[in-house]
Amino acid sequence: MVGIVSYGFYVPKYRIKTEVIANVWGKNPEDVKKSLLIAEKTVAGIDEDSLTMAFESASSALSSVDVDRSKIKIVLFGSETHPYAVNPASTILAEFLGIEKNYLAYDTEFACKAATGALISAQGLIKSGYSDFALITGSDKGMGKTHDVLEYTAASGSVSILLGKDDLISEILDFESFSSDTPDFWRREGIRYPSHGGRFTGKPSYFYHIDGSSKSLFKKTGLSPKDFAFAVFHMPNGKFPIQVASSLGFSSAQIKDSLVVNYLGNSYTASALMGLMAVLEKAKTGDLIFLCAYGSGAGADSFVLRVTRNLEKRRKEFVKAIKDKKYINYPTYLKYMEII
Amino acid sequence: MNYITGYYTTRFGELWDKSLFDLVEEALRGVLKQNNLESSQIDAVFFGNMLAGVLENNLHSTSKIAEILKINVPIFRSEAACASGGVAFNLAKTYLDANPNQNILVIGAEKMTDYSPEETITGLSAAASGEEQEAGLTFSGLYAMMANLYIEKYHYTEENLAYVSVKNHYHGSLNEKAHFRRKISIENVLQSPYVAYPLKVLDSSPISDGASAVVLTNNQDIAKKQKHTVTILASEVATDTISLKGRKNLEEILATKNAADKAFKKAKINREDIGVAEVHDCFSIAEILAMENLGFWKKGQGGERIKELSTMYGNNGDLIVNTSGGLKAAGHPVGATGIKQIGEIFLQLTKQAEKRQVRNVKYGLAHNVGGSGGTAVVTILGI
Amino acid sequence: MISPIKIWRRQKEIRKILGKKGKVLVWTKIYMAGSDFKKYAPYPVVLVELENKEKIYGQLVDYRDTDLKIGKEVISILRKVRSSTDEGVIAYGVKFKPL
Repeated sequence: MVGIVSYGFYVPKYRIKTEVIANVWGKNPEDVKKSLLIAEKTVAGIDEDSLTMAFESASSALSSVDVDRSKIKIVLFGSETHPYAVNPASTILAEFLGIEKNYLAYDTEFACKAATGALISAQGLIKSGYSDFALITGSDKGMGKTHDVLEYTAASGSVSILLGKDDLISEILDFESFSSDTPDFWRREGIRYPSHGGRFTGKPSYFYHIDGSSKSLFKKTGLSPKDFAFAVFHMPNGKFPIQVASSLGFSSAQIKDSLVVNYLGNSYTASALMGLMAVLEKAKTGDLIFLCAYGSGAGADSFVLRVTRNLEKRRKEFVKAIKDKKYINYPTYLKYMEII
Repeated sequence: MNYITGYYTTRFGELWDKSLFDLVEEALRGVLKQNNLESSQIDAVFFGNMLAGVLENNLHSTSKIAEILKINVPIFRSEAACASGGVAFNLAKTYLDANPNQNILVIGAEKMTDYSPEETITGLSAAASGEEQEAGLTFSGLYAMMANLYIEKYHYTEENLAYVSVKNHYHGSLNEKAHFRRKISIENVLQSPYVAYPLKVLDSSPISDGASAVVLTNNQDIAKKQKHTVTILASEVATDTISLKGRKNLEEILATKNAADKAFKKAKINREDIGVAEVHDCFSIAEILAMENLGFWKKGQGGERIKELSTMYGNNGDLIVNTSGGLKAAGHPVGATGIKQIGEIFLQLTKQAEKRQVRNVKYGLAHNVGGSGGTAVVTILGI
Repeated sequence: MISPIKIWRRQKEIRKILGKKGKVLVWTKIYMAGSDFKKYAPYPVVLVELENKEKIYGQLVDYRDTDLKIGKEVISILRKVRSSTDEGVIAYGVKFKPL
């Protein structure tokens, strides 16, 4: 059985409030907050990028367990904001972590589900006996065009997961993936900000694929929403995950702990995984967790996780940790995001 | 015995019309003319400069000087960041020790204003270690760290430092060749913007262009016949780690102490004998540290002593410091400074210092430092 | 453009000093910076003595002004250290944050 051995997360210190952005563009802050259900989002510092954040979350994950780093033969880096268009951040990360040199590394991209896709591939490599461990990172310094809705939602953060086959805190019981060619949100090479199809990002995109992937997994496993203690979905804003959970048959109690988007924004490839971080702080032995990440373009990866009694010894504080924050104003936000 | 028989300096300042080698030419021809010498009578030239390689892509300046003066004699360039001038002088004096009957020139020059402040600041950072540069420590940042430690250790404030700048600006107002000729007040200094906390714009020497040259000889007859002659009693160089963090004590420049001890021993005189000194005030804190490290003031007392302004011209002190205006007001064209300092002592000893002439001086000292203290040169002259 | 080889050699050393705790020996705040650091100014730089007595320089980030004092406890973290050109290799290095 392959599963999560340990995990780590990193959220930058800075926050910008929705109302601060709304006031710049003459929008009613309450309207914006109500429509997106986001009060504030994280902002990475001017000298941070997806790699530096990945180093933080990965260091955290590796600090929970005493792993012989030469046994980590898979390092996968999922992001939409890779430091380079061509050059693997996965090897930069591995090198700084002291993982060398007999390992497989590559960077993945599938919008916000780049990391969960990598989780699926990695667990297959572990099962085949290639490696005892795999380090997977989802990390983004999310960009949004100014005066666009993404400006309120695109945030920064990183989550790292160490996969293995022994001493798991959570087993990956099963998974499914659902893919199509759907241009709801994309970014061309050399272009700084992503573009999106507005309302097209809803029903035919986010909802259609999460629905397809989740139902496929329910069918495969014979499980249904009532079997799960928690459900975690990708969070492009505060409304979509609530709506998709409800449409699939989950209760609001099952998803409420995962809704980090309300106060952290959408950290793209780290979004759903960050929701998982919040849930793991609370989950008990034997709990089933349903995780479904959505990536634009489009596709959805869904997982059934079962918490083991090892979570107790490696559980990380989440809610308290993210309270260490500092609010910034709009010009500082532009400076940190290198928009000015 | 070695002698200085002539000195010429260009103005220091923003000399837009002159390139680096225009300045070099002006200083060389100036000093030759003053001493009624032809370039063919020069046996060797020593050149001190820091940034020609970094900013001008010129690293064969010696050959360029040969071209300018149309000479074929040995020419040498020294590299020691801001101590390049002092080191060039030291090498010249050593050359005289080794070769009889020589008439040689030492020139220091720098061109800094052709470039943006960022480019110049980056160029000056070459005096710091790679790690210091990578951490974003500018040259000012290094001295700012020393200032912070000094202030914290001896319970002073930024105001103590400001006295250095006020004194040196007053001196600059008396020196026609100085970059800055206006007097400033303590308030002016304290209100100027920060460069690297706690050092402000008016704690810091400026970016200047300039060139200064001296004529040296070890030929007794020539020396006797000159209108003005000064004896070189000692010139000593000492080095230390390039990194500030590698020093034994971060709030003192050990290289200064070592060079001074060696120089006073060689010259066979005491600190009390020095009547006039040019010390390396690249930042206000640097003058205070220099006075302590040279042995004129006790360690830790500099902040208090400077407030007395006993080292200011006109206050009847026994030792007047930086009558040229120092680096702060005269300007700091890096490679030229070391020579200008020696030249200023030469003027003082030969009673040519006009409005800033200190009376009855027999011995003078020049102190030149490279980087944050990696190199120090102490020269003692007598008449 | 910074030499990629210099960055590569440097990064091997950086790895050894990441995640280390130490105390601030001396600090300053740079207001007028060189070209590569202009966009970060003003920024504090600290000289830190690590627990193993090694001394390291680095910028201090994620700080409050009250953190700028001799003796403050800090930890070394990974950040981008200088802005290279749009085409150059990214220089990652050590900075510090207050504990």
